[in-house]
Amino acid sequence: MERPRTIRRDDGLWLLQRMRLIRQASERIARLYPTDVMETPVHLCIGQEAVAVGVCRHLTDADKLFLGHRTHGPALAKGLPLPKLMAELYGRSTGCSHAFGGSMHLIDLEHGLPGSSAIVGGSIALGVGAGLASKLAGADFVGVSWFGDAATNAGVFHESLNFAALQRLPVLFVCEDNGYSNVMPKSAHAAFDIPSLADEYMTTMTADGTDVLAVHEQAGEALAQIRSGGGPVFLHCPTKRWMKHQGHERCDIVGNGIDEQRDCPIRKLERVLLDTHLCGAGELEQVRLSVEQQIDAAIAFAESSPFPTPAQLEVV
Amino acid sequence: MTATQAKTGEATPGTKVMTLLEAITDAMRTEMRNDDRVVVFGEDVGKKGGVFGTTMGLQDEFGEQRCFDTPLSECGIIGAGVGMAVYGMRPITEIQFLDFIYPAFDQIVSEAAKMRYRSGGEYTCPMVIRSPYGGGIRGGHYHSQSSEAYFCHTPGLKVVIPSTPADAKGLLISAIRDEDPVMFLEPKALYRHAKGEVPLGEHVVPIGKARIAREGTDVTLLCYGAMVPVCEQAAKEAEAMGRSVEIVDLRTLVPLDEATVLESVKKTGRCVVVYEAPKTCGYGAELSALIAEKCIEYLEGPIVRVAGFDTPFPYTLEHLYMPDGKRVLAGIEKTFVW
Repeated sequence: MERPRTIRRDDGLWLLQRMRLIRQASERIARLYPTDVMETPVHLCIGQEAVAVGVCRHLTDADKLFLGHRTHGPALAKGLPLPKLMAELYGRSTGCSHAFGGSMHLIDLEHGLPGSSAIVGGSIALGVGAGLASKLAGADFVGVSWFGDAATNAGVFHESLNFAALQRLPVLFVCEDNGYSNVMPKSAHAAFDIPSLADEYMTTMTADGTDVLAVHEQAGEALAQIRSGGGPVFLHCPTKRWMKHQGHERCDIVGNGIDEQRDCPIRKLERVLLDTHLCGAGELEQVRLSVEQQIDAAIAFAESSPFPTPAQLEVV
Repeated sequence: MTATQAKTGEATPGTKVMTLLEAITDAMRTEMRNDDRVVVFGEDVGKKGGVFGTTMGLQDEFGEQRCFDTPLSECGIIGAGVGMAVYGMRPITEIQFLDFIYPAFDQIVSEAAKMRYRSGGEYTCPMVIRSPYGGGIRGGHYHSQSSEAYFCHTPGLKVVIPSTPADAKGLLISAIRDEDPVMFLEPKALYRHAKGEVPLGEHVVPIGKARIAREGTDVTLLCYGAMVPVCEQAAKEAEAMGRSVEIVDLRTLVPLDEATVLESVKKTGRCVVVYEAPKTCGYGAELSALIAEKCIEYLEGPIVRVAGFDTPFPYTLEHLYMPDGKRVLAGIEKTFVW
């Protein structure tokens, strides 16, 4: 389907700014990671930024986003301040989880991030619970369950979709499908087609997860249906993971099918912004530089923050 | 990640210096050569060779029929293993981290553990559930826990935890040959740090037999897995302070080698139990109760537990949570001065 190649300037700049924040912060983390200044394993999402940013543009702070282990992208897109993320990675008490979480367990209640779980599939049902709470309380927030393709292998995935559909809950299921479970291709880990299966339960939409405008459009439709009481929606976003499952290196197994020029969500958006004369090249460069400055400041904040004290071990 | 190469030193003939990780691979390789019924499966064990590398090379040697990847479905992995075991295979299932085992808990405690009993002994469930456990790699909440006590509390399961490469090989071979389900828990902190001579080929260490890791006369340290080298360090320091320390490496938690444990405590009259799990209802609680029950009249001081804390596993404060030489040493002193 032909996707619209135009966007409002404020939306376009927001999408670009957040994608650059995620990308450049991830690249900086990858550079710093081998120096061991960070306390935590990291699962980076370079190449997948469009999914996080395209969806989160439509979410408010009141909406509850539950994540898996690949957290940095959606958390930053949802509004987690970068200094709090960096401090958490450095294991400092000013981190978003007070140095009790690490990369895989980010919390920011102010921005609707109640948490993430390193158990793959572990938080899918939690988003359903948030949706149920919203419905029972007569509130208007949406629960969002965010997971990868491998989480669809787990039993809890099916239990969650089934329950949300039966109860017509205000839940958005986002499958950030990067095609791999660690190094295992989808053809080896799923005997089913993910969107076809989801469609058995609920309205299912698919958007190219390397194209932020496509994700932005479909997520907008999905959330409009959910917010108008139409029940849960499943948003399937095939995308590409450039990095290894964990750590700071490019993935040689997955990387064979990736063209970093062609598949880069940031380049795709920048091309549209230039072609439609919404932005000039100088402005795009300014976005990049501004993000670099934010990263420098966030790292300085993390480095100058204290580690938690021994007393905090038992008194959280 | 590639496995760390063992130092090529002067090994005794018929042995090779290996890391604990390499010894585990060697055990599986040995039994897969011995017995066609032995198969290995789990998440990322085939193509990748395991996230730590314990199954490296097995798929190349034995093919995809005998070493294969599964979807991300712990419950399905264990359930399939139970079915295979009951019907004549010898499955070795791998759960990537012990922290990931909970979705499979029902299959383990309700199915695997009860097969022998509920069939009135008609059939058994000869399978191994391998999983790395414990802290020491800064893995945070879900890559660090020591959940052995849940399984020790389930009749029908055997629970084995090695601390040396030679024991890892010998115990894993025994576990594969055992007629009952064995939880084989691997101290991931020692995967590459524990190195030692391992007999080549056939090598069996019986399940249910503890090892005296160090002989002493004044106080007994009861420990297993990654806590063994911690206790060895503490023992050296205690020795310098005039305390002669005996270390019992349990090796098997269920069935426990009660005789060795009680004999040592009766001899020394003092006991410190060291484990890295949360203190309350950890395996050390059972050991303490056992000693109080069966040899309290020999004790010259309180039984002391040095353990993790009753908190979820901490991320940044891991170094405080894990028992170290200093805490064990303080524990030893508590058995003398109280």
